[in-house]
Amino acid sequence: MKLLALVRMTLRELAAKATIIILAAISTIVLLGLALAVSTSVTQEGTILQLFGQQATPPMPQEELVTAIRSMQAGLAGGLFTGIILFGIFATAGVVPDALEKGTVDLYLSKPIARWELLLGKYLGAVVAIFANVIYFVLGAWVIFGLKCHLWDARILLSAVTITFMFACLYAVVTFLAVVTRNTPISIILVYLYLFIIGSVLQNREGSLYLISENTAFRAVVDGIYYLLPQLSAMRDNGARQLMAQEMDWRPFVQSFLSSALFFFGGAVVLKRRDF
Amino acid sequence: MIAIATEQLSKTYVSGFRGKRRVQALHDLTLSVESGEIFSLLGPNGAGKTTAIKILLSLTRQTEGSATLLGHDVSSPRARAKVGFLPENHRYPGYLTGQQVLRSFGALSGISGVHLRSRAAMLLELVGMKEWGRVKVKRYSKGMMQRLGLAQAMVNDPDVLFLDEPTDGVDPVGRAEIRDVLRDLKTRGKTIFLNSHLLSEVELVSDRVAILDKGRLLKVGTVDELTATGERYHVGLADGLTQAFRTEASAKVMAFVEERNGLVVDVASIPELNAVIDLLRRHGIQIASVTKERSTLEESFLSLIKREVAP
Ligand SMILES: Nc1ncnc2c1ncn2[C@@H]1O[C@H](COP(=O)(O)OP(=O)(O)O)[C@@H](O)[C@H]1O
Ligand SMILES: [Mg+2]
Repeated sequence: MKLLALVRMTLRELAAKATIIILAAISTIVLLGLALAVSTSVTQEGTILQLFGQQATPPMPQEELVTAIRSMQAGLAGGLFTGIILFGIFATAGVVPDALEKGTVDLYLSKPIARWELLLGKYLGAVVAIFANVIYFVLGAWVIFGLKCHLWDARILLSAVTITFMFACLYAVVTFLAVVTRNTPISIILVYLYLFIIGSVLQNREGSLYLISENTAFRAVVDGIYYLLPQLSAMRDNGARQLMAQEMDWRPFVQSFLSSALFFFGGAVVLKRRDF
Repeated sequence: MIAIATEQLSKTYVSGFRGKRRVQALHDLTLSVESGEIFSLLGPNGAGKTTAIKILLSLTRQTEGSATLLGHDVSSPRARAKVGFLPENHRYPGYLTGQQVLRSFGALSGISGVHLRSRAAMLLELVGMKEWGRVKVKRYSKGMMQRLGLAQAMVNDPDVLFLDEPTDGVDPVGRAEIRDVLRDLKTRGKTIFLNSHLLSEVELVSDRVAILDKGRLLKVGTVDELTATGERYHVGLADGLTQAFRTEASAKVMAFVEERNGLVVDVASIPELNAVIDLLRRHGIQIASVTKERSTLEESFLSLIKREVAP
């Protein structure tokens, strides 16, 4: 009950901020654009995929059309993923530092809630807010593809879950950074640094960090760091495979879940020990 | 029944680069507050009053000692189930209205539904903010925030109320109203723990007052005990005081104020005066004169406090 109250307060806080509204507005604009852009038309030789009324593909048999639409959906989901990761983090990164600010944290912690509960309520609030945005976009896209291309494929709905899951993994890292630094801009900078530089360097460690040394211990440490952090790019690639109805690897999801649980736990431990 | 008890509570804040800066905010604080009592912690800024409350609410962990709240160790969230708190510099989300603040924070205390709604409305009326319930708090003045804070502290119908400088920023009329609220709470059996740096704010409502200075408890007693009895002596010294004396004197809870040519001692009896003189002599401090002054203990702790507050 109290956790629910915390989630509700966090949602209200985010709703009061312009950033999450802008996120919803951008989603709406993209959906409108999509609704105007895509359509199919049936000819004797097969079905044509059209973009803004112009023929975009040669006439295709039904299965090929489905594959073409699915790859469009995968592209769209990829864009949504990038948008959510970049802008969603920006929109929600203040949740934990704001709650830990002097004068606010006193109010929360004087209530009969444990500190980890406060952190969990704030974390879930941000994740739920992002999920609402993602589901809005994905449902919209599903309806648009259904109406305009006559493909009612529930796969794209699943991508709402995977994208939110990926956000939730990354947000655990943000939560940890927020507890440690208690500073929104610094948390954002650090997590962007991880996303843009550290993450890709680690993922391509064979071609980068491994070249520094042949020492197995060094390489083990590099591997360790890689597996300690959520594997966003691996998850993104597998999410796209899922949308294309290809075989996917669940391991990055499991590993990222464990890693984000660890980050959240770390944040809770740091918070528990802090004097306010 | 004991509502609040602390046992040799000490707190050292460690901060700065590699913990170089250390501040001992509390020093062996032992006190107990009966339920139904209005208990005040009085002392200058930096005395450690806020730290004491923060330890009791588990916002800060003590370095040593222990504390219980309504029979629970303060580290357990259960200790805070029937507790209300008005923090020193509370901040409410500006986008919420007064009513929404009370409902949101009430929900965090575990109350909900119709009960919470009616309670929020009742409390706003109690603190004289009925017309402001639907106004966003970003438009509130400092005094109004303080009233809202008081209402928020009472939202879960707490048995123990912690108020840190509750009349800060409130005009004289508002101060009197807040005192009325506190008296009313007392008649309903609530325990109130009040922090203030102003004697005038606590003497009118408190059952007992504890005087805290530099983290040490100087005296505890009823307002009458602390103000009516006792006498003041000026002890002239040939040289200054030694640090060893200061340490031992504050450990023995001797109330004295250092002056240029000696010290002003407040005592309840002649043997107490002689205990101070014995201690001075034991530390090899030369006494030049002992003069009785007229003033009461009240003035003494006012001066004790003013000494720190004055710019
Ligand atoms: N978080 C903190 N870190 C370091 N020092 C602190 C902290 N909080 C309080 N202090 C110090 O502890 C002492 C007591 O502070 P406080 O309990 O706020 O006193 P009061 O409420 O009586 O004014 C002061 O010297 C203050 O500077
Ligand atoms: Mg204070």
